[in-house]
Amino acid sequence: MLPEYKTSVTKVDNADKMAGKAIFTGDIQMDDLLTAVSVRSTIAKGKVLDIKLPELPKGYYFISAKDIVGENICNIIFDDWPIFVDKQVNYLGETIGLIVGEDKGKCLDLAAQVNITYEEETPVFEMVNSYIYKEFTKGNPELFKGAAEIYSESFATGYQEQAYLETQGMIVYFDNDVITVKASMQCPFYIHKAIMRVTNYPENKVRVIQPAVGGAFGGKEHYPSLMGGQLATALLKIRKPIRMIFDRPEDIAFTTKRHPSRTEISAYLDKHKNIIGLNIHVHIDGGAYKGCSGVVLSRALIACTNAYTFDNLIVNGDAYCTNKVPSAAFRGFGSPQSIFAIELFIHHLANHLGIDPLELRNKYMVKQGDITSTNGIFRDPIVLKELRDKAMKMSDYENKVKLYSRPGSNRGIGMSWFLHGCGFTGGGESDIIKAKLRIKKDKDGVVTFYTSQVDFGQGNRTTLKRIVVDTLGIPEDKVIYDAPDTSLTLSTGPTAASRTIIIVGGLAAKAAQHLKDIWVDGEEQEIIEPYVAPNFIHWDEATMQGDAYPGYAWGVNIVEVSFDPLTYQIKVDGCWSTYDVGHCIDERIVVGQADGGIVQALGYGYLENEVAIDGKFRQRNLSDYIIPTIEDVPELETGFVDNPFPYGAFGAKGAGELTFVGGAPAIALAIEMAIKHKVNKVPANPEYIMELLSHED
Amino acid sequence: MINHFIPKNLSEALDILSNHDCYIIAGGTDLMVQKHRSSGLLPTFEKDVLYISNLEELNFIRSDDKGVHIGATTKYRDISSSELVPQLFKDVISELASPNIRNMATLAGNIGNASPAGDTLVALYVLDAYLVLQNKESKREILVKDFIKGVRKIDRKPDEMITEIVIPHHDLHYYWKKVGSRAAESISKLSFLGAYITKEGIIKDLRIGFGSVSITVVRNRDIEKQYIGLKIDEFSQQIPEIIRKYDEIINPITDQRSTKDYRKKVAMNLLKDFLTKIK
Ligand SMILES: Cc1cc2nc3c(=O)[nH]c(=O)nc-3n(C[C@H](O)[C@H](O)[C@H](O)COP(=O)(O)OP(=O)(O)OC[C@H]3O[C@@H](n4cnc5c(N)ncnc54)[C@H](O)[C@@H]3O)c2cc1C
Repeated sequence: MLPEYKTSVTKVDNADKMAGKAIFTGDIQMDDLLTAVSVRSTIAKGKVLDIKLPELPKGYYFISAKDIVGENICNIIFDDWPIFVDKQVNYLGETIGLIVGEDKGKCLDLAAQVNITYEEETPVFEMVNSYIYKEFTKGNPELFKGAAEIYSESFATGYQEQAYLETQGMIVYFDNDVITVKASMQCPFYIHKAIMRVTNYPENKVRVIQPAVGGAFGGKEHYPSLMGGQLATALLKIRKPIRMIFDRPEDIAFTTKRHPSRTEISAYLDKHKNIIGLNIHVHIDGGAYKGCSGVVLSRALIACTNAYTFDNLIVNGDAYCTNKVPSAAFRGFGSPQSIFAIELFIHHLANHLGIDPLELRNKYMVKQGDITSTNGIFRDPIVLKELRDKAMKMSDYENKVKLYSRPGSNRGIGMSWFLHGCGFTGGGESDIIKAKLRIKKDKDGVVTFYTSQVDFGQGNRTTLKRIVVDTLGIPEDKVIYDAPDTSLTLSTGPTAASRTIIIVGGLAAKAAQHLKDIWVDGEEQEIIEPYVAPNFIHWDEATMQGDAYPGYAWGVNIVEVSFDPLTYQIKVDGCWSTYDVGHCIDERIVVGQADGGIVQALGYGYLENEVAIDGKFRQRNLSDYIIPTIEDVPELETGFVDNPFPYGAFGAKGAGELTFVGGAPAIALAIEMAIKHKVNKVPANPEYIMELLSHED
Repeated sequence: MINHFIPKNLSEALDILSNHDCYIIAGGTDLMVQKHRSSGLLPTFEKDVLYISNLEELNFIRSDDKGVHIGATTKYRDISSSELVPQLFKDVISELASPNIRNMATLAGNIGNASPAGDTLVALYVLDAYLVLQNKESKREILVKDFIKGVRKIDRKPDEMITEIVIPHHDLHYYWKKVGSRAAESISKLSFLGAYITKEGIIKDLRIGFGSVSITVVRNRDIEKQYIGLKIDEFSQQIPEIIRKYDEIINPITDQRSTKDYRKKVAMNLLKDFLTKIK
């Protein structure tokens, strides 16, 4: 029997954060704390010929590639991103060195006086040089040859900035002879590994501790590893504590963002207007270094048919090398781009064929037992129909469609439905991450458990603790669960990929259960629980065939907008969402994800515009890079359909990314209805809408 | 060495200005942002600074036959809650920045900052508002439109400060639209203010201003005057010509907030909408 979980508890971090007592990286006080500021390339591509330093006063240092003791590499899947530019500059703002010293103002002055001579090379900003290519097929694409008609369209999505409240920041210092790091981060062990490689220090001489973290959204998955390599190098040379915190414009301009994309889709139709199959090609702009672009591409490709089943598919994807800041992890990780494309495509195709879009969508909606895009199986019960019906009822969807479809209504309503695969792709959990969770009990029956999961506001510290408390059936104050410290915890993997509750939560429940099973009062006991993947998961990374994910979460977003034909502005009037996140352990925490996710996705869909001109981002602060304010957001209504997942903790699946992936297509479809014109790009901002409509004047 | 002055009263402030070339800080919501250096560091001022926001003598709103007088340190919050202030200004202020900024910032600061995107400037131009500049010895009055010389360029002598803004009374019907990028805390992509008086079917007054489409507010009294005195039905026939005239003088730019095409097109849409609504 599942406990009745929806009741919510007070988040464990609430009191400290409300009182301003939580200690973030910027709040940490230390004696002799130095500041580091970056010296960045001013060109997008070329060779560094010479670096002329100003006279450095005593106590001020310039740290660069020359100072690296180990390897000048920040491994993010590939070994291509250097910690500091050695010779070759590949994007504007790439770090050439650090100026470190006591006074930040002086450091900034000195950094501005560093004079670098380059031999410039011609940069590439367009998606022309593919550095990762992937492909797979499903069914029998030979059948495409017999098509009566082919219908094709292309879709584009832009950059998106994570816009976490707390910018990137890190402190490094020596604790005796241990390199110790506190940082705004998502993945302590990524930083740990990066620093070992750059410093040649052994595992037990590098320690990463998580302070309070103010938001991440994927933006702190990889970038802190780079900062870690830079600061650790400085630490070895200077041997004093050093802190680096980015100002907002620096953070926006030079840290990783969501991949811009272009997706081409062709539908092959028989003479009865049935879809024989699709040919889909996803292109993503990876920036100067590959980083995790291959994985983002994979996930975009796997999700390219979203929550529809098509029997025959040709799927291709390219990630392109451009001389821009590398694109990297961001909530949704590739799937928002391809889900946007397919959701709009289906509607456009239906309109083209003269079929009610909802009818066409229903016809291909995924059912339990269907074959996934990669020839895996949707094994678990699927409640998408219930989610759809519930959301349609909450929003009065059908009536509004009738009403708003009329000419001159200037209103629109759009619905997306979608899935999100939880956890790492394929065998990633068992082959790459290999999570191990340590739980121990002391003589007095106090239980402590350790994970490497970072709570950056989303509430996982509260939920993971609750899982252990309830499994053991002991009072809450008998369980200790603190923020990660790599010297105490074994790696349970990164805080990413919506894996925390489904994977680590499951692991925590299992570990707690094992402890309970062997529990002896008055004794010290410890268990190390390894992650074991469900044995039905088979995935071949090379061919991209098999079960891509251990489980899927599902959702429906409906968005209503009105349109001002004089200014082309869009106002969001209503927003309804339904989700299957398995079983909601703490409904308020999930609603927190739902609210934040949809707002971030609406921003992606109609407001957030980041344009790079000659490799330089034009919007560099939050008054130009426009994210929604509370005034832009209507009342958000969210409902759930309970569908417990057999392998997670207490039936829970992932909720972090699911709540993001459908927002952009939902609002784009609503905008289409309001402006009576097809939309093929997000953000569908007023400038774009004007352009679309200007052809009609 | 940079001096920071916090005068106790206006005469002390004017004394300081007669001896020191100062930045004047009222709410600081423009100047502190412009001078911001990096988190944890003080802003960089290259010359002395005079803080005036606590000068109670300049914190007033009163009305006489010349118009509504608003003191230089009066906050937006108080302006928008005063019964003396015309509704148009309240409308403008209700969309300016956000409550926290409106609790600090001043109308004088919006003028002093002379940004192309200053939201109150359009209304100040259209209503022929003027300001009072004062130095130790004397006072002078100058129309806001003459005071603003360009982007961040104003006709202030180092020993002067704005002490009040005077908004003449009016009984204009108005059409105001701020086109921002979102519902709040948004810098204008453009703004439009049309105003008119009709009496017995005749246009008695017509005023049109555009914000954020040029280095400063675009208002052209010559164009406006040509249509004053027309009967409404005659006027309606002139609408295409009026639009053509503004089309020639509105030449916005593309920047990080919007494009020149968008600004132009929307400015024209709003103008047309306004003109066709005059009755
Ligand atoms: C988050 C944010 C949002 C904003 N949104 C908007 C918006 O929507 N619309 C808009 O128009 N503006 C906006 N602004 C800009 C700013 O708030 C306004 O321009 C405001 O009116 C400035 O007033 P202040 O008193 O703070 O000016 P200050 O910063 O104190 O001064 C601005 C300039 O005026 C000069 N000055 C001030 N008082 C005097 C005086 N008595 N005599 C002579 N010179 C003087 C100063 O020297 C300085 O050059 C925004 C600012 C921020 C930070």
